[in-house]
Amino acid sequence: MSATPTVGHRPVDLAVVAARDRENVIVGNEIVRHRRASRLIHWSVSLTFFVCLFSGMPIWSPIFGWMAAFFGGLSAARVVHPWAGIAFFLFSAVMFFHWLGEMRFLPSERDWLGPKALEYMRYEGDDSEVGKYNGGQKLFFFATALGALGLLLSGLLMWWPSAFPRVVLQLSYLIHDVAFIAFAIAIVFHIYLGTAAEPGTFGAMTRGTVTRGWARLHHPKWYRDVSGDDGSRRG
Amino acid sequence: MVMQSLEIRRSSASVWGIPSGIRTLPTVSKYIDTSTCIGCKACEVACQEWNDLRPVQTTQTGTYQTMPTLHPEFWNLIRFNEQNYDGGIAWIMRKDQCMHCDDPGCLAACPAPGAIVQYANGIVDVNQDLCIGCGYCESGCPFDVPRFHATTGKMAKCTLCVDRTTVGLEPACVKACPTGCLQFGTKDDMVVLGNQRVAQLQSAGYKNAALYNPAGVGGTGVVTVLAHGNHLDWYSLPADPHVPILTRLWKHVVRPLGMVAIAGAVIGAFGHFTKFGRKEVPGSGDSGVQPPPA
Repeated sequence: MSATPTVGHRPVDLAVVAARDRENVIVGNEIVRHRRASRLIHWSVSLTFFVCLFSGMPIWSPIFGWMAAFFGGLSAARVVHPWAGIAFFLFSAVMFFHWLGEMRFLPSERDWLGPKALEYMRYEGDDSEVGKYNGGQKLFFFATALGALGLLLSGLLMWWPSAFPRVVLQLSYLIHDVAFIAFAIAIVFHIYLGTAAEPGTFGAMTRGTVTRGWARLHHPKWYRDVSGDDGSRRG
Repeated sequence: MVMQSLEIRRSSASVWGIPSGIRTLPTVSKYIDTSTCIGCKACEVACQEWNDLRPVQTTQTGTYQTMPTLHPEFWNLIRFNEQNYDGGIAWIMRKDQCMHCDDPGCLAACPAPGAIVQYANGIVDVNQDLCIGCGYCESGCPFDVPRFHATTGKMAKCTLCVDRTTVGLEPACVKACPTGCLQFGTKDDMVVLGNQRVAQLQSAGYKNAALYNPAGVGGTGVVTVLAHGNHLDWYSLPADPHVPILTRLWKHVVRPLGMVAIAGAVIGAFGHFTKFGRKEVPGSGDSGVQPPPA
């Protein structure tokens, strides 16, 4: 193995360089999982989501009224919220089409709505055929896409209350609430699994890379595809 | 406008609002007798003048009605309607305005603490300082009264002239009415007056005369005498107004359940971590976490 490449006297981190525009490539002990574009899209969705969250929750219930202070009061939060919602939806739409091709459900992933998800959470699932994304991640992907669409459509109605019949508004408040509640629950587990529960995962969205060991554990089929290593040499 | 000198009975998005009982404030009410209204619109003008509302451009719809409907700068509208009745015509004039419900749907729907209040005397008012202009109150009102004012970004509606009534004056519309078909006083007195007038109308041949004071919203702070009480549609009045069931479902069922569910998810994640811990990468000291760059 050659010496660490440098620019001037500074060492070059080859994995990070590769992660700018390539995915699914091995650099040393690391594998690029999300290239820079993917990470930017993800964090744009994330940022706008949290702006929506903190501007929307004080309007949802006065219990969260203190969150309005981030925006300079409830009136300001009310002005920010719909625009942040538009931005959130647009980034979500970009993310949807960015990842759609990789999120097709395989027949073996059908039961992720039921027992498979529980097995996975007990760390007992058989992950040997899991590719780059497991069934739960795909489920989360489509659920959040649907949620974002529901939030947008109900939110647009709520933005122009004078233009719609009262019962339509009442329904849109309900839909906005239910979509948000489902979204919030999903996000809690998304963040939990991506940070505390599964070490090494968060780096996929920051640095862009994961270790070989991480890939073998969580996404063995993806690891085999990327490395060409069918596991027979492992001892 | 919010009158600080009045105690508050109910406040939007708040858990407080029980009067201390130190002062006795009887519930007030406006009395409207549609059978003696002559459609002069003096009340409309008085309302505009007292509340400094600007004249609003209207559209001609083929009636004497000033505006097609209520407007953020037009809170008091006489609705004109002609109906065939008893071989002739019943010419209906009904004063449309905020009904100051005992159980206000606008207040139930409002998400901004203190933006809609109900004073101890029953008047329902929008606090312009705290209103965020979201329009939720529009969806909660069974009478289609609150209007969004695009210039102020706030909701606007009749205040029952709370600034006048607080200091012992009658509302501007009542002050201007030349026939006495508008009266103002305690709710009890106005209901008595209304029932007397209904009995009078019934003995005069209007068998279906009625006092409109719908129980679905706990009664209204505006009681209306109707000569044709069996034809509420002639007056554009809902038969059974109440706080919408979907508004109740949203505020009292979905919202608390949602909070419990989200909190449950957070607690569930902690619980999971306690029971199952991390899903570590096994063997060879690989924590799954990338080494610091060289």
